Amino acid sequence: MGKIPPSLRSLVSANSLIRTPLQTEKSQRHHFLKKRPSRKQQRKDSDDSLETKRIPSLFKSPELSEAKELFNSFISTKKIPPDRPFHNSLLQSYSLMSTVDDSISFLHHMIKTNPSFSPDHATYHILLSLACKAPESDLSPVHKTLNLMKNAGFEPNQGTTDIAVRSLCSVNRVDDAVELVKELSLKNSPPDMYTYNFLVKCLCKCRVLSTVYGFVDEMRSSFDIKPNLYTYTILIDNVCNTKNLREATRLVSVLNESGFKADCFVYNTIMKGYCMLSKGSEVIGVYKKMKEEGVEPDLVTYNTLIFGLSKSGRVVEAKKYLKIMVEAGHFPDAVTYTSLMNGMCRKGDALDSLALLEEMETRGCSPNSCTYNTLLHGLCKSRLLEKGIELYGMMKEGGVKLETASYATFVRALCRVGRVAEAYEVFDYAVESKSLTDVAAYTTLESTLKWLRKAKENGNMV
Amino acid sequence: MLPQGVKKTITDNPKKLANLIDLVNLPSTLREFVGQSQISRLGCFMRVWSYIKTNNLQDPNNKNVVNCDKKLKSILMGKPQVELDELPALIKLHFPKAPK
Repeated sequence: MGKIPPSLRSLVSANSLIRTPLQTEKSQRHHFLKKRPSRKQQRKDSDDSLETKRIPSLFKSPELSEAKELFNSFISTKKIPPDRPFHNSLLQSYSLMSTVDDSISFLHHMIKTNPSFSPDHATYHILLSLACKAPESDLSPVHKTLNLMKNAGFEPNQGTTDIAVRSLCSVNRVDDAVELVKELSLKNSPPDMYTYNFLVKCLCKCRVLSTVYGFVDEMRSSFDIKPNLYTYTILIDNVCNTKNLREATRLVSVLNESGFKADCFVYNTIMKGYCMLSKGSEVIGVYKKMKEEGVEPDLVTYNTLIFGLSKSGRVVEAKKYLKIMVEAGHFPDAVTYTSLMNGMCRKGDALDSLALLEEMETRGCSPNSCTYNTLLHGLCKSRLLEKGIELYGMMKEGGVKLETASYATFVRALCRVGRVAEAYEVFDYAVESKSLTDVAAYTTLESTLKWLRKAKENGNMV
Repeated sequence: MLPQGVKKTITDNPKKLANLIDLVNLPSTLREFVGQSQISRLGCFMRVWSYIKTNNLQDPNNKNVVNCDKKLKSILMGKPQVELDELPALIKLHFPKAPK
């Protein structure tokens, strides 16, 4: 048997820590998304419902003259009712493959050839969104479009601001978006809270905290746009992700001072922050605080709680909360079970976690790839290779992808007992299923084999 | 045993990564085997491994051992049998470090 230096053990377990939080986060984000943009969605729908009516592959080339000809043929044959949505969708599909200037010319051409068509806000928003994504490094195409819009009698409204900001952020021009928002705020079309929060979120992702605070302060002092509960949640989420819990606590007190009451999302975010630091007691503390304040915990709260406790090695308590959550009427999902399995595996109870897999399946909850990978990793670590191989067979059958850590552990476990050919087979599967890049899969295999040779030479192997 | 740590450093280390995936001009023996004049170390490994699989060269009694055929022998130092765990090392011999 080969020996594993203790330094490696910590490395590997540290690696497995990273796995489930991703999932918890994901589900949490999912909740955020569901809640927030509801109104925005509606507005978008009414503003450019053409998204669904878009006619793909209608225009074969970005050539302006060909597009004009195509339009003329539509008008002359009168096959389709030439109403406004039809024109807008034509413009939309043309703009997808052409430049700002060509699209503008095409719009002019449509107005000229068919006087019954009168553009509306949505028409110009198509051009605006195109202009925001133009390759120019400054805002000149955006200004050009805005001026065009104004000359046609359409003052920019909140929808305009929103579309411009989202388009700019989608091509990573956050600074330009900030500049444009300030400019439009001066011209009486300030962003609404949805746009504002979206921009704050983008800033949080790619700028330092002081920049974000600078923006928030400036919007407050110059345009009287104050952060709301969602803004604070975004900010708290951001500082929690950078493990700055002290700042998070400060933000919560600011939030209370501004007259807001922390809701479930705020608490979940803070709880996640403590989870990342593996602070089990604080995680429970947040849960108790919620109960005190009368905030009803949701599925995400329980998942985060169970994840945090499992991560800090308090599986027994985690199991207790699993019961509580079921009593509260929540259905534990794959994330819940995977977190718990992760905790068990970390304690060395890989067999128990395998039993939990059966339990979750009988309860009608199907495991995901993360569940399988956690189990495979845990089984190999607990030297239950046969069970691991069995599980791997199931994964392979179901086309479940391998993750870096579980792949490496599994390959190592196989090599350790001299089953090199099977390790090669796992390597093939990892490459075939595109679980890992060829390079990552090969380097793991190569270094494991190198270690195996060395161990053999030293007589550590049977 | 070092995989986790090392693997990360290799994929993060541009020099070591280049050593693995850069195309290299091949010596004549290897050129004959792979049928092209340039290949990366990773590509060569994949080629040899798939050659072993398609020609069923693994020993039926011990899958960890490869019985080399004539063609394979020519590139693996003329060994009649190689073990799977020394395969990467043997292939690496054809890819010496670039002289500075």
